Amino acid sequence: MVRVVVPSMLAAQAGGRGHFDVEVETVGEALHALPVADLVIDERGELRRYINVYVDGSDARDRGGLACPLTGAHEVRIVAMLSGG
Amino acid sequence: MGVLALVGTRKGLFLLTADDERDSWQVEGPLLDGWGVYHAIVDERDGTFHAAANHLVYGPTVQRSSDGGKTWRRSHQIGLPEQSGLTVNATWHIEPGRPAEPGTLYLGGDPAFLSRSDDGGETWEANRGILEHPTRDRWPPSRGGLLLHCVQLDPSDAQRMYVAVSGGGTFRTVDGGATWAPKNNDVEFDLVSDPYPEVGQCVHKLVLHPARPERLWQQNHCGVYRSDDCGDTWQRLDGNGLPGPFGFTIMLDPTDPDVAVVIPEKAYEYHYTVDGLGVYRTRDGGQTWERMVDGLPQQAWAAVLREASAFDAESMYFGTQSGSFFALTNGDTWVEGVRHLPPILSVEVTAWSE
Repeated sequence: MVRVVVPSMLAAQAGGRGHFDVEVETVGEALHALPVADLVIDERGELRRYINVYVDGSDARDRGGLACPLTGAHEVRIVAMLSGG
Repeated sequence: MGVLALVGTRKGLFLLTADDERDSWQVEGPLLDGWGVYHAIVDERDGTFHAAANHLVYGPTVQRSSDGGKTWRRSHQIGLPEQSGLTVNATWHIEPGRPAEPGTLYLGGDPAFLSRSDDGGETWEANRGILEHPTRDRWPPSRGGLLLHCVQLDPSDAQRMYVAVSGGGTFRTVDGGATWAPKNNDVEFDLVSDPYPEVGQCVHKLVLHPARPERLWQQNHCGVYRSDDCGDTWQRLDGNGLPGPFGFTIMLDPTDPDVAVVIPEKAYEYHYTVDGLGVYRTRDGGQTWERMVDGLPQQAWAAVLREASAFDAESMYFGTQSGSFFALTNGDTWVEGVRHLPPILSVEVTAWSE
């Protein structure tokens, strides 16, 4: 079981829920299991460009992206990367 | 009768209400907190709110609420066909269908697509006549995108409708959307060697007069135009009283087809009003224009986007990129109903009572 934690705008789009406990093998499966999957994965099945996914604090893009295995992982955290001022 | 204004902003949707006088406004919001609401509209057929909501990170969405904005549901199928090679960059405009076609809605967006829903906005299907238009390679995209942003339905003919593309021009269908004919005769595109090409014009806003549907108005990158023959020919109208040809939005009077109101801006790279916040009205079909600035700030560098105005039988309304919302009272005086909203992207109104 891994806990997927989403930021507040995604939680608002998920009826107010900020985390989801899912039984899955990969980051891609974890994201697809969310009611906000379409907001983190684009219409061609790719992780949106400025969404980062951290698996127990490590950037999933460095570990296979959507294929990143979740064996032994506890937390998947979704972060919207925004800059500017 | 009072009025409810759906005001889409860079940071969410605001609901503004006023009584019949329209001089005192109440604010509720933001709904869809954090979303850039490019357009929001009430479907007069069933009261549903529809919003084209976009986010820099989370992407394009279409959302709807059947409880006055308390809860929202996202459309789950807004993508474009894979074989098109295109993906949706942003949703720009939602047009509810005619009274005789319940559940039907139209969606315009970037890159220049028109989609139709027949299930109240849950799923959408892209119009192939637009996606595969034989002139599409002559629609120049711009930094802001290649936008299909106006959808106008002819209330007198269920098969006839219009769309406008920046930059592609105006297109008309007379077969319910199967085929689309360019309708840009006499409309200037001053950047190319042939200034009157078949397509490529940058329409900023296209509006059909609801009581005289063969009459269309457009604020174009290159002037203000009127057509009295369903877009077959256009007459340029910005030579007599307007400070310049460029602007984005246009408002009409549903009770008088000869009235139009525009807000000219400094052209091309600048996009702000000159000489204060100057609003201009014609009462003679565009032959002459008068400045109507009673109640408006005269020290202002404002910008009013294409969707950021609305009209009903009683009044006109617009919002600025600096977050001010204005309504016309007594036919001639503007009232700043609300200020300090986030940058205003869209305004639509509907009848409302407390």
